[in-house]
Amino acid sequence: MTATTAPSATGERADTAASPPVVGFTGVSKSYGTVRAVDGLDLHLHPGETVALLGPNGAGKSSTLDLLLGLRTPDSGRVEVFGTTPRQAIARGRVGAMLQSGCLMQEVTVRELVRLACDLHPHGYPVDEVLERADLTEIAGRKVNKLSGGQEQRLRFAFATAGASDLIVLDEPTTGMDVSSRQSFWGSMREQARQGRTILFATHYLEEADEIADRVIVLHRGRVLADGSSAEIKAMAGVRRISFTLDGPPDEAALRALPALTGLDVAGRTVRMRSTDADATVHAMYGLGLYPRGLEVAGLGLEQAFLAITDAATTPEEA
Amino acid sequence: MTTLAKLEIVRALRNKRFMFFTVIYPSLLFLMIAGASKKTDIAPGTPLSMPLYYMVAMASFGALTAALMGNSEQIAKEREGGWVRQLRLTSLPGRGYVTAKIASAAVSTLPSIVIVFIVAATAKGVRLDAAWQWLALTGAIWAGSLVFAALGVAIGYLATGDAVRPLTMIIYFGLSILGGLWMPMASYPQWLRDIGAWLPTHAYAALGQAIEVGNAPHARDVALLAGYLVLFAGAAAWLYRKDTRTT
Repeated sequence: MTATTAPSATGERADTAASPPVVGFTGVSKSYGTVRAVDGLDLHLHPGETVALLGPNGAGKSSTLDLLLGLRTPDSGRVEVFGTTPRQAIARGRVGAMLQSGCLMQEVTVRELVRLACDLHPHGYPVDEVLERADLTEIAGRKVNKLSGGQEQRLRFAFATAGASDLIVLDEPTTGMDVSSRQSFWGSMREQARQGRTILFATHYLEEADEIADRVIVLHRGRVLADGSSAEIKAMAGVRRISFTLDGPPDEAALRALPALTGLDVAGRTVRMRSTDADATVHAMYGLGLYPRGLEVAGLGLEQAFLAITDAATTPEEA
Repeated sequence: MTTLAKLEIVRALRNKRFMFFTVIYPSLLFLMIAGASKKTDIAPGTPLSMPLYYMVAMASFGALTAALMGNSEQIAKEREGGWVRQLRLTSLPGRGYVTAKIASAAVSTLPSIVIVFIVAATAKGVRLDAAWQWLALTGAIWAGSLVFAALGVAIGYLATGDAVRPLTMIIYFGLSILGGLWMPMASYPQWLRDIGAWLPTHAYAALGQAIEVGNAPHARDVALLAGYLVLFAGAAAWLYRKDTRTT
């Protein structure tokens, strides 16, 4: 695999660089004992973005969110949220956050807890509105400790979105939800985004990142491995699948010499290739005088793209 | 912040087990222990009759239970469970959580005091010379319970998991028995009385006993309780800061 040039790690974009960042990580590192959870991280989020933080377990997603929310302080580097400390930004009601785990207050009702969240927020919404939006109206009278996993997640979501925050941070928000509640959850999330909020969520559901986020940041070993739109990520990982059949036996050496090729598999007259630039590859193929039949060019899902990137990043170190 | 305090109070009053141990249990103990004694029986080492002695002892015991037991275990659990962490992601000021806990302790001690008084007055015919004594008693026992509310918070931030309940129990029973809430200390050996005399529970019960006799509380008892309040609140504040310091 030749697509080892990991995409740019800065996350700066020309079109949004002018507005002040919602979140700014500058050279942030954090270790627990000998484990380097976050390693010199530079990360900037801009207003209105919906950003997925993607990575396998242990990639540093939760640590990054902890630092962002001021639950931990970095060993070195600086974390700024709306140009101030995380704690200040939270105290001003600019950040709403939903943690992945952790119990809520027990022996109180859903409505009571949502009311608490609305009251604690400097710009809280009406309780009924928050309940409705999180699809909790029907179970508003139920005790918190009697909820199912998915219902509890919805309550956490209500807790995080009880007021007019500018940034919403969600750590693996759909854990424990079934497919339909996951859909409606992302529906309400999109609604939040439409109102101009910046949304950052950590996930290992790759299709979620692909579907919801307009920017995907792939973390690996506490570093940004890739940062771009999901289409860009896929392109950066260099993977389009090209397949076709030929009239005669394929000339493997000639095929191997095609530009932008990252993989080749010949079985009889059937050829499967992977390319970082399908246009160039196919064009050159016609230039060779070949006439592929049944030509198919397909993008890989984010999942495979993501595997390709992390693969590329680990292999040299472990070799 | 007041919403959180209100919610803590509602939750405490709704908790049947907690209400039994803080409200019913001290009254039952009063009836069991003082029930057999006559108004003319004098509690050894005091100028008070047995029913009077036990009324103050059990009201203090109930208030101690409400102030200490509710908070220590709950704080330890909510710290570990992640609720405290979730609250730190809201605009609630850092000390808001502890303030709400103390407010809820302060409210739940009141019924435990008043019910013991009502039971004592109706079932054992306890009477005080003046109406102000009832009010002063309630006020003194109620105010004194803050010392134990602070202790509860300190234990909640000190202990975790399985350790918090046994630790609370040891302190709770130790303070109750050695401080003379369950029986007059005159029956203890001298060395135990010497220790007991310095415990906050002893000074606590002594506040009420002084009022029953018709005096103001002794300066020594008030000073001792104030000292313990500073100590426990200081420990609670220090442990709280240690716990919430981000690392």
